[in-house]
Amino acid sequence: MSTQIALDTFVAETGGWVAAQLEACTRCGICAEACHFYQATGNPDFAPVWKIEVLRKAYEQRMTPGGKLKTAFHIEKKIDDQELLDWSKIVYEACTVCNKCSMACPMGIDLGPLIHNVRTGLAAAGLVPADLAAAVQKQLDEGSPLGVTDDVFADRIDWVQDDWDVDIPIDKEGSDTMVVFSSIEIMKFPENLADIARILNTAGENWTLSSKGREVVNFGFYEGSPEHTALFLQKLVDAATELKVKKIVVTECGHAYDALRWTAANLIDVPKELEITHIVALMDKFVSEGKIKLKKGAFDGSGGIAFHDACKIQRRGGHIEEPRRLLNILAPESFRELTPNKEQAICCGGGGGVIAIKEADPYRFAVFGLKIDQAKVAGADTVVMACSNCRLQFLDGIQHYGSELKIKGLSNMVAEAMEGAN
Amino acid sequence: MTWTDTLEFLRGPLFRIAFLVFIAGLAYRLIRVVTLGWPKDKVLSAGSKAKGVATTYVKAIGIFPFIPWVKKTFNGNAVTFLAGGMFHVGLISVILLGTAHMLAWKSLLGFGWPTLSLPIIDWLAAATIAAMVALLVNRLTHPVVRKLSGPAEFLNWTLVFLPMVTGYMMTHHMFFRYETLFSLHMLTVDVMLIWIPFSRLSHFVFYFFSRTIHGAQFGKRAVTP
Repeated sequence: MSTQIALDTFVAETGGWVAAQLEACTRCGICAEACHFYQATGNPDFAPVWKIEVLRKAYEQRMTPGGKLKTAFHIEKKIDDQELLDWSKIVYEACTVCNKCSMACPMGIDLGPLIHNVRTGLAAAGLVPADLAAAVQKQLDEGSPLGVTDDVFADRIDWVQDDWDVDIPIDKEGSDTMVVFSSIEIMKFPENLADIARILNTAGENWTLSSKGREVVNFGFYEGSPEHTALFLQKLVDAATELKVKKIVVTECGHAYDALRWTAANLIDVPKELEITHIVALMDKFVSEGKIKLKKGAFDGSGGIAFHDACKIQRRGGHIEEPRRLLNILAPESFRELTPNKEQAICCGGGGGVIAIKEADPYRFAVFGLKIDQAKVAGADTVVMACSNCRLQFLDGIQHYGSELKIKGLSNMVAEAMEGAN
Repeated sequence: MTWTDTLEFLRGPLFRIAFLVFIAGLAYRLIRVVTLGWPKDKVLSAGSKAKGVATTYVKAIGIFPFIPWVKKTFNGNAVTFLAGGMFHVGLISVILLGTAHMLAWKSLLGFGWPTLSLPIIDWLAAATIAAMVALLVNRLTHPVVRKLSGPAEFLNWTLVFLPMVTGYMMTHHMFFRYETLFSLHMLTVDVMLIWIPFSRLSHFVFYFFSRTIHGAQFGKRAVTP
């Protein structure tokens, strides 16, 4: 039964866009070398092309004459329940949808979105790993997968305002900008709230938080369900419309940015004049417009500092140069690049919902070994990033490996180096 | 029936049928995919899709085959990159720039073009055949590629390998009479042409879709593809 739903979903989502790319694949296997999960484990099941094998099979068996003939004459077995369960493991536990594979494919197939399509079929069939499904349910029930209810939100913001002595406006009508934090920041990195608030206040930005659109994390996007994704996105767009803001700023959260900036308009109605941007881009703009001044070399002299490119903010987000411009002010002497970097960067291994699935721990830690090696080669003592999900993975990872690496959020560094802050 | 009669049939009526199946089959595949529907992308671009597409083609056709390590995934796949590259360059050169093939094209199209000298084409053909053997060994030994390979992949390999080998034997008059070798070459070419629309050998048609999508997706985000 669940197989039927998954297959129907695969078929329904197979437009020319998907079909043309499935037809283009030559099964050369080059994508495997781009996949950090394959590189770290050597498991051929984790080859990106194998992750979309079930989608290809469904497409062939249900939509092409050749595939229909093959199943009719029993040359090829029809997809069954067990097969889908196997795929649920590999596409949720061993893929962060970081899309590095699409950079390697000689045919230029955009594998990341296709793997997302596989997740969509599995989500429709109810084959999402239990931990991830529970987090989605929690977001549906409480408005946040990390339990940031209305009360918790109000308490945390009060506490941050008091403890850090910073103004955080909530539901302020007539604001230009609505800022949405992720619950990871609210619950685990509250200093992000304080620091980003200080940056915005110092720059004179007319901004607000929204109590209705308070959670930017979108677990529907992780599981691949367009219905849930749209539901969570709608809350944000509604809140922005209600507050009549011109701009939504996503803070240090990668997949949420991918969902809101690059997916939302294709799932729900987003007003054309509503700008959606990322805090990294905004901080860079503040600096270039002279709205905030950073102390040059504020972080020089304490060892090498490298930037970790988050798959959803840099490769899939487009904000590759902004963090580098900022770091070249903050630590011009100590800044160094990891190899590979920018759009070719290796993902942290915790994205795409992987970090939320307990069974995936061995894989995500194996992958993290690549990041530690990268930092070592680059001579970095500190790794900076602009994604709190990456940051969680880095913190877990260095603990797992007993590494001495120091981890920093870019917004925290900018706030620390800001001159004339109030 | 003599070998000469057989050859006349294989390079005459059967070739025309094979060519027709090749064209009609690919057209059918193409039309079917195009008519599946292409949802409009309503997301506001940060960069230029056209620039992304242009960049990815320049990198893929102009740089990638000659400097494979620009993709940084070269080391793990040296055989696939080098042998795969050699195979494609060799195959296209032999088919378009071999004198005998050019004459076949001329009889179809009505015009010809300058070709490479026989020794060069001969070496290219030998290198292409060697590359195919390397690719087969890689398919059987690399854990990922082996997992991806079923009967269809090996059949595809065989149906491309046979015209290459019979063509090479023909230019060197190896083992059999010329008419026999020519007949075998034409037979395998006909079979391959008929098989292409039914198989992944048709990837060259869909390449332009996936490459364009890739470039547009990266260009839209203002990221270098």
